[in-house]
Amino acid sequence: MTKKRIESFIAPIIMFLLIFTGWEIIVRALKIPKWLLPMPSQIFKSMIVNFPAFWPHILVTIETVLLGFIIAVPIGILLASLITSFKVVNAALSPYVTFLVMVPLISLVPLLMLFMGYGMNVRVVTVIIQSFAVVNMNACTGFNNVPIMRQELMQSLGASRLQSYRRVILPTAASDIFTGVRLAGIFATTGCISAEYVGGNMGLGSQIIKYSQFLKTTESFACIFYVTIVGLMMYWLISFAQKKIISWKI
Amino acid sequence: MEELGKKTLQEPRIKFDNVSKVFETRSQEIVAVKDYSMEVLTGEFVSIIGPSGCGKSTLIRMLDGIIKPTYGAIYLDGIQVNEEGKMPKETLRKMGFIFQQPNLLPWYTVRENVALPLRIFGLSGQAWEKRVDELLELVGLTKSGQLFPYEISGGMLQRAGVIRAMVHDPEILLMDEPFGALDELTREQLNMELLDIWKETRKTIIFITHNVEEAVLLSSRIYIMGTQPGRLVSTVNIDLPRPRSLKMITQPEFISYKQKLTKLIGDLDLSKIK
Ligand SMILES: Nc1ncnc2c1ncn2[C@@H]1O[C@H](COP(=O)(O)OP(=O)(O)OP(=O)(O)O)[C@@H](O)[C@H]1O
Ligand SMILES: [Mg+2]
Repeated sequence: MTKKRIESFIAPIIMFLLIFTGWEIIVRALKIPKWLLPMPSQIFKSMIVNFPAFWPHILVTIETVLLGFIIAVPIGILLASLITSFKVVNAALSPYVTFLVMVPLISLVPLLMLFMGYGMNVRVVTVIIQSFAVVNMNACTGFNNVPIMRQELMQSLGASRLQSYRRVILPTAASDIFTGVRLAGIFATTGCISAEYVGGNMGLGSQIIKYSQFLKTTESFACIFYVTIVGLMMYWLISFAQKKIISWKI
Repeated sequence: MEELGKKTLQEPRIKFDNVSKVFETRSQEIVAVKDYSMEVLTGEFVSIIGPSGCGKSTLIRMLDGIIKPTYGAIYLDGIQVNEEGKMPKETLRKMGFIFQQPNLLPWYTVRENVALPLRIFGLSGQAWEKRVDELLELVGLTKSGQLFPYEISGGMLQRAGVIRAMVHDPEILLMDEPFGALDELTREQLNMELLDIWKETRKTIIFITHNVEEAVLLSSRIYIMGTQPGRLVSTVNIDLPRPRSLKMITQPEFISYKQKLTKLIGDLDLSKIK
């Protein structure tokens, strides 16, 4: 391992230890009650001890996030290619995409549940709404920023629209698209948790609410930590895919 | 075959007939090219020279289907090519376009970049792949074939751009100041390589440049353009013997051509000031 890689590997671990040791010391020193703010050691213990109880909910959350994300990304990219190809589509759709990015999702979820009930579907739809818009906006930026010279190269070869997309437009836009996809990974997780918050009794979001209502703050925190782990896994997965797909330098 | 050969000798390969191009921008109309006419025969090497913004790039971009003329007609082998809609692939296949910058795609290796026109035109098979390797060898890029564009030098990039335009074996090469961004030495070397290629393959070449010496050295005929609006000002035939070499640039004949052109272009600039 090079020095740089050791640094990027060790630094976050040291930071992690610092934060949690600090937290632990402060809570002990100030004798803060467990229901107000538990110690990290208690939270980690609960994460392990209560794992069998958490596991179904972790699974449901992962499933919802992944399913919504996998549907949202292609929709976002496809729509971006339509928006950037046809002025009419752009005029018709862009304001609504912007609206979807801006509107606090939590205000939409109860409405959606009114229409669709509390099941898995409504949560997946929430995740899709929350994450496709950010993919869409970034993909639009990417598609609009293809240098004219590259477009002219394809024109001078008489390339079809499909050939241009495959060989020039998509690769040019790839890094912008991935910026959107990475954000979508985060938004998908937060979107999923807010949907679980609002209704139903499955998923980590619903458990956070349930435990905190009973002042079981430790269990509540344990679930929050599991959410963080799910979010981080999404992030790593996407970064890994990006490294595999974009192997060139501009 | 014999008859066909004769026919192409008489009939111009490329013909611009009173071509004008007007760009409409938000604030004004720009007449980029006005009433331009020119005929190029098969196997000729002609240059277009003129001040910046006189419409040189616009001319060959119209010929290569990138933009459409506003008025007039452009003929390729007697067939008008500037009709509505996209130029057909069969027409475009006859031409290779060399851009002012190398314009390689960063996600392909040098070899994949050079082979790109084959993929787009749907030309596959052993013979074509062999041609890619031969061209790479011709310009000394064999060892660099598997490298990415950012891993090779500016001169090598430009060479790759040149052979990419030739890979689908077009009969016509359109070159937009291909070596403008390079240093003097590399430029001279590439010019000589270009002459070799032309001598061997007898392509029809339209070459755009700012450089008088380069134009005289390479061309059979030089078109001088003026600006505002972009138009043809005069045509000069260069009757220097072939093959030409860098040694010729010190010969009196060469120097007198150079002076003549420099004067014509200088007069242009003066008339602009008035
Ligand atoms: N897409 C465009 N839209 C509007 N105006 C344009 C466009 N392309 C070119 N022009 C204008 O047309 C004129 C001729 O441009 P062109 O690029 O053909 O010049 P050029 O002779 O190639 O110049 P240079 O030697 O600097 O490359 C310029 O005034 C330019 O501003
Ligand atoms: Mg130009």
